[in-house]
Amino acid sequence: MAEDYILKVENLHKTFTSKKISVRAVTDVSFNIKKGETIGIVGESGCGKTTLGRCIVRGIEATEGKVIYKSLHGKEYDFLNIDKKTMKNIRKEIQMIFQDPYSSLNPRMTVLDIIKEPLRANFPKMSKNEMEERVKDIAAKVGLNTSYLMRYPHAFSGGQRQRVGIARALVLKPQIIVCDEAVSALDVSIQAQVINLLRDLQKEMQLTYIFISHDLSVVEHISDKVGVMYLGKMVEFANTEEMFKRPMHPYTEALLSAVPVADPSIKIERIALDGEIPNPANPPSGCYFHERCRYCISKCRTDVPEQEEISPGRFVACHRAKELDLRGFEYEE
Amino acid sequence: MESVTAINKKEHILEVKDFKVNIRTDEGIITAVRGIDFNIKKGETLGLVGESGCGKSLTSKAILGINEKICESLGNIFFDSNDYGLIDLVSLNPKGKDIRNIRGKEISMIFQEPMVSFSPMYTIGNQINECTRLHITKDKAKSKEISLEMMRKVGIANVEKRYNQYPHEFSGGMLQRALIAMALVCRPKLLLADEPTTALDVTIQAQILELMKELQRELGMSILFITHDLGTVAGMCDRVAVMYLGKIVEIAPVEEIYQNPKHPYTKGLIGSVHKIGNKKEERLFSIEGTVPLAMNLPPGCGFYERCEDRIEGLCNRAEVDLVSIGNEHEVSCFACDHEACKAFRAKVEAELDGNIGGN
Amino acid sequence: MAFIKKKANKNESYYMASQWTLMGRKLKKHKLAKLSLLILGILYLGVIFSGFIAPYGLEDYDKLYQNTAPTKIRFYHEGEFIGPFVYSLEKYNNPETFRVEITEDTSEYYKLKFFTKGVKYKILGLFESDIHLFGTDVGSNGSTSGKVMLFGSDQLGRDIFSRILYGSQISLTIPFASAAISFVLGITIGSISGYFGGVIDNIIQRIIEVLGSIPSIPLWMAMSAAIPAGLSTVKMYLLITIILSLINWCGIARVVRGKFMSLKNEDYVMAARIAGVNDAVIILRHLVPGFLSYLIVSITLSIPSSIIGETSMSFLGLGIRSPATSWGVLLDETKNIANFSQYPWKMIPLFFVILAVLAFNFLGDGLRDAADPYK
Repeated sequence: MAEDYILKVENLHKTFTSKKISVRAVTDVSFNIKKGETIGIVGESGCGKTTLGRCIVRGIEATEGKVIYKSLHGKEYDFLNIDKKTMKNIRKEIQMIFQDPYSSLNPRMTVLDIIKEPLRANFPKMSKNEMEERVKDIAAKVGLNTSYLMRYPHAFSGGQRQRVGIARALVLKPQIIVCDEAVSALDVSIQAQVINLLRDLQKEMQLTYIFISHDLSVVEHISDKVGVMYLGKMVEFANTEEMFKRPMHPYTEALLSAVPVADPSIKIERIALDGEIPNPANPPSGCYFHERCRYCISKCRTDVPEQEEISPGRFVACHRAKELDLRGFEYEE
Repeated sequence: MESVTAINKKEHILEVKDFKVNIRTDEGIITAVRGIDFNIKKGETLGLVGESGCGKSLTSKAILGINEKICESLGNIFFDSNDYGLIDLVSLNPKGKDIRNIRGKEISMIFQEPMVSFSPMYTIGNQINECTRLHITKDKAKSKEISLEMMRKVGIANVEKRYNQYPHEFSGGMLQRALIAMALVCRPKLLLADEPTTALDVTIQAQILELMKELQRELGMSILFITHDLGTVAGMCDRVAVMYLGKIVEIAPVEEIYQNPKHPYTKGLIGSVHKIGNKKEERLFSIEGTVPLAMNLPPGCGFYERCEDRIEGLCNRAEVDLVSIGNEHEVSCFACDHEACKAFRAKVEAELDGNIGGN
Repeated sequence: MAFIKKKANKNESYYMASQWTLMGRKLKKHKLAKLSLLILGILYLGVIFSGFIAPYGLEDYDKLYQNTAPTKIRFYHEGEFIGPFVYSLEKYNNPETFRVEITEDTSEYYKLKFFTKGVKYKILGLFESDIHLFGTDVGSNGSTSGKVMLFGSDQLGRDIFSRILYGSQISLTIPFASAAISFVLGITIGSISGYFGGVIDNIIQRIIEVLGSIPSIPLWMAMSAAIPAGLSTVKMYLLITIILSLINWCGIARVVRGKFMSLKNEDYVMAARIAGVNDAVIILRHLVPGFLSYLIVSITLSIPSSIIGETSMSFLGLGIRSPATSWGVLLDETKNIANFSQYPWKMIPLFFVILAVLAFNFLGDGLRDAADPYK
């Protein structure tokens, strides 16, 4: 079963070093993704989820670790460590959708040029007509009016721009898409449109998503599995429903309890976290979460908890994971 | 004169009447707020919900007279002031002494970005103190004492030390607390909170909302809570007004809005938020299309193009107004099935037919 | 219906407008910038057609007309209307003060005429002609001593109006030439600094700081001392251009470097990189267009300082020297306080310096406002 994956992230580290300090943005993250799945990555700002996403697509270079991609033919590549020629062929398989629909589109290029650019870079021999055909196909697929392709981004609303960003990511027919807060900057009603679009496209093109977001209800809706990050570490990784029903890491529990629920009849008892997220340049000893954890014991202060597979496919990094009975959401039957 | 007497001084702290905002741009005048009426009761929290560009922020800034120069406010905003009695805020000179006396003292505001709401050049204490010194006391020691007390109240630990720190030494959540302290230090009667938690992480957001509720109980103030996030509204507000394209389309007590939404836009908004724990619905309910530009709007309901219940020949021809359907619930939709709405619709239809007949 | 369609087309053209079109449109709305553009247009027409517009040549002088005030243009000769004309001057020994005074000789009139023949000149060094836009006619007795000097004359009896025009050929073109040189230097060095970063960036930045810390006037003095005397005007011109641009490129390199660094982190640059676009294409397609508009602005704003630089160098006698002329050379004469108080018209070139500098500044302002495509 272990071999049934499309992407395997192994012990990924990313350390940002400046003159005086080094900050570990991502520490020892590992997980697998199956084809056609959606993995949600949640956490608060500064937890390293965006860095993780960018390391996976090689927008920035990871310090250590492997990202193994299994192509359709079953061949495995370490995406972070391959020669240039193979890279050229493989790069297009993993693409990204960005958070800010304003800064992610070059304001000086027409939408046609923006969507066409990946094609020009990867298929230099493709004829102009063929490229434009493909751009039109993909634009229609993401719900852009193809007669607007000659327009510049400034003529589009946030939601439409995000569709352009999706089209640009899809035009190379990738296998995996990293969505970095892809709907966070959009209005609620537009968010729903884009989420529905992403799901439709997933079904149609058998896409695999890594969906990075701080919005837990969106993640719960779209993901099959969820990873929770805290201070650069993945503290819990599990099937979505299992995790939301019964979290096993105290941080996940606190995070879930803080989610605002759009129903005034439900009153949730919130778990108040003391203090702030520690400075990643100077993390606490032992478990990174121990200072704010209400279940903290002496062991937590000294020993770093290892990621443990509690049940198949369910990983938790907490010394007390097995003994604690934490509270999650109630699911309708 | 009818409007002046209409403000119920015992109950309402603020009454907004037929309020409009025009924005002059190079391309012409945009009416961004197109005639809204609402009121805020003493001690209650009114949520003003809508998507970007619906005019919710313009409305709140107009209350304090801090919109940019290109924005022109029309209509009335009556405020029950301690110093001035009943006063129309729209009529005040935005640079005048009167409005400056009200700003910060009787009505104050917190913004979305705590980082840009403080000047990086002064200590936090200094900036909180500024408000105290301006409105309460000129005595330095006394005003510092008042500021420190408020900082303690908003849950800032170690206030003596924090008082002398600069904004960059605060984290986002702490800074938002300091901002709240600054807004509340003069114990205002009305707090305008413009997306106060949008920029914060969920766990911090929950803390800040709790804090605001606590302080509200303690100080007995009213809050106008502006947000696009229906989740926070549900936990925070007593009543909710939903805005779309510069108009209030529905206003009701919070339980009523969530359990019995009448306007198609409200329904859409609530439907498009996924509730954790619901059995996996395959697709989210979504409102198609995008918000039209507030320029050269066609007559009729602003939501017409995107509406599922639209009635051709009626919704795109006649202006629709808020109709009370009981239980403090008002909705502005011809397609609503309530008796009062049906009556309103019949009346408008009769007028329309009459016009045609006349032509 | 036609109206609606027209409206839609108008919108569509806005949506399909590139950044440059939008910039042009915004500039059109900036009244001060438009006025400045008009003024600069007139000044530069003067540069091109200076030989034609100026009634006299660069080296023409007339002993009779030393330090004379602007010529009065008259219309009535002995009570009779004969159209615009001027009187010539005559020397007159004042018997009471025993001083030579210059008065108007009203016995003869010289009509003003368009397209008179005069000294030969070349336009843009190509078309030779001797027709001038305006000048004085020969008097009825055949004398040619009537002169029209709109802005008066200098110590040697040269027409200041003509000399301002000839001076603009240098004063208004050196800044452009030096801007062009600094543009090339600035972009190249700034891009290297911004793209590679690290040690190279550090070295370049320190060099810029050292260059920037040298006070400019002593630097010019040192450099122009190195210019051998007796060079031809053209060579002198080139050298001064180079001296000016050697200081100017620093500012542009800094702008380019800063823009490079901020644009490098834009999401759309990362998107291109993830899509496999190579570095050269990223620079050319994403980075350079991103700061080109800002660069044009900063160059426009740097021209006034070049104008002033050239003027002050020539004013100090370090730049262009007579008989060649520039606005700075013309102002040289006003160094003397007596000149300044007795012959105030000699200050007129200063007005042109101010006009040109202000016009470039306002235009730069307008361009800066227009350059932001998001607003």
